[in-house]
Amino acid sequence: MQYQAAVAWGYMAAAMEGLNRVERLASESAVVVFSVSTCCMCHAVKRLFCGMGVSPAVVELDHEPHGDDMARALARLLGCHGPSAVVPVVFIGGKLVGAMDRVMAAHINGSLVPLLKQAGALWL
Amino acid sequence: MKARDQGEGDRNTGLPNQLMATNFFDQEGAAYFGELEEALMHGVAGITSEQEETSFCTSRPPTLEIFPSWPIRFQQASKTEGSTDSGSVQNTISQMNSEESPGSRKASSELSGKQKEEMASDAPQTNQKLKTQEKRRLVGSTSDKDGKELDPKTLKRLSQNREAAKKSRLRKKAYIQQLESSRIKLTQLEQDLQRARAQGIFLGGCGTDGNVSSVFDMEYSRWLDEGCKNTMELRQGLEVHLPDADLRVIVDKCLTHYDELSQLKATAAKSDVFHIITGMWATPAERCFLWMGGFKPSELLRVIMPQLDPLTEQQLVGLYNLQQSSQQAEEALYQGLEQFQHSLANSVAGDSLIESANVGNYMGHMALAIGKLANLEGFVRQADNLRQQSLHQMHRILTIRQAARCFLAIDEYHSRLRALSSLWASRPRENLMNESAVPVTTELQIVQQPVDGHFSGF
Repeated sequence: MQYQAAVAWGYMAAAMEGLNRVERLASESAVVVFSVSTCCMCHAVKRLFCGMGVSPAVVELDHEPHGDDMARALARLLGCHGPSAVVPVVFIGGKLVGAMDRVMAAHINGSLVPLLKQAGALWL
Repeated sequence: MKARDQGEGDRNTGLPNQLMATNFFDQEGAAYFGELEEALMHGVAGITSEQEETSFCTSRPPTLEIFPSWPIRFQQASKTEGSTDSGSVQNTISQMNSEESPGSRKASSELSGKQKEEMASDAPQTNQKLKTQEKRRLVGSTSDKDGKELDPKTLKRLSQNREAAKKSRLRKKAYIQQLESSRIKLTQLEQDLQRARAQGIFLGGCGTDGNVSSVFDMEYSRWLDEGCKNTMELRQGLEVHLPDADLRVIVDKCLTHYDELSQLKATAAKSDVFHIITGMWATPAERCFLWMGGFKPSELLRVIMPQLDPLTEQQLVGLYNLQQSSQQAEEALYQGLEQFQHSLANSVAGDSLIESANVGNYMGHMALAIGKLANLEGFVRQADNLRQQSLHQMHRILTIRQAARCFLAIDEYHSRLRALSSLWASRPRENLMNESAVPVTTELQIVQQPVDGHFSGF
């Protein structure tokens, strides 16, 4: 009983840890991209920002301590449970924008640029 | 009818002596009996082996060597046989087998031909005629045992006719059997197709691997049909100047229609991404313009925009921005896909393309490659998402009337691409062939007259 409680507490602690780290990192820069170094879609989102003249802060989860916890926290934030990869996840101005499809949709409907300008990632 | 030798009767299985024809020469009769046997087997059981036939044809009674009126070649053979061992049936028979004398065979051919007509009546018409004519001639000439008038050439021809007739009967039989089985297969296929069509609607998300592509193709063709209806409605709505409210309904239907396709493709890509991304469901001309499994949004916009006039300043800016952001998104996706390809290529190549890798290594690399392939689905999904978003944004920027014209233009453009594919597929090709075939044709005309007919089309 105590063991199970301890395990559950352990999970919760890890989850808290992950979420804390995510939130901390997300608010450190105007544009933060949570990525995995080998992920091709992450590469695409990085190229998208670079193409717009934005240099995002990239957090490579496979190189970070507690990367797994952060990945799980991100999954919970996005509300995705499936085996598909969580990353890339984009934060602008400390606020969650979402995964690749959200970022693309935001760019197409013209809401991404104002958001970037507001966060100070884009000038002019 | 003379009774046959008992030995002969025993050799030839089963048939009673009365049936054996004996008002001809005995050799003839033996051969004739062989042919009769063969004919019966044709009529009843089908195909007899050549081996049996030859043995039957060339079986001879012991009295073979007595008759001097046979053709010389045959007589010499018979004489040698007679001198060595007149009593031995076996030797004679084996000798006859190896010699394969034409005379008796020809004689027997006519008789057997007659019998075959009676028993299995599908001999070709010309052969039948020939046989009746020859039969008459033979009857006339063989009524007396001396002074045979049988022409060796005629006999040879008769035997060849017999062979040809038999061959064509066999071919015909085989062909008919083939036709029958094909017919049965065809009806089965038709039933399966009907069943599959009926079930096709329900198979939507749960197809097996081999099935998914064909399910998607079916659903896509249905999607195209719906699209045609929408296009017609749009056209009519614009012509009759429907009020905006009604036009809006139609335009929304069109937008939903395109969303449906994205959904269909996403479902199919889960099981068979290659089918979607290589555009096997699209026509060749569409495939030429294929970008990540569909149309390229910025390119479509570039084509459509000039035809959307008149546009306000604001709308122009909005559309220009849309084109810009589409291009940026497309570029980003494309670079992501490139990196995917590099990574996949590295996995496939492994580290030992030249020296044969050990099985474990090979399988390891392949497994890695397969794991990476899962990412391809993500790219197709993002590309479809981009297409969807672009269409929605166009809808937002334009007025209802303009949006109706916009969707009409998009539909028409794609249907023209499909028409281009059909035209290209059915283009006349003689022009191409003529240039290369002319020297060949003349050559062939000189050398081989019969082939001339093949080139008459040019």
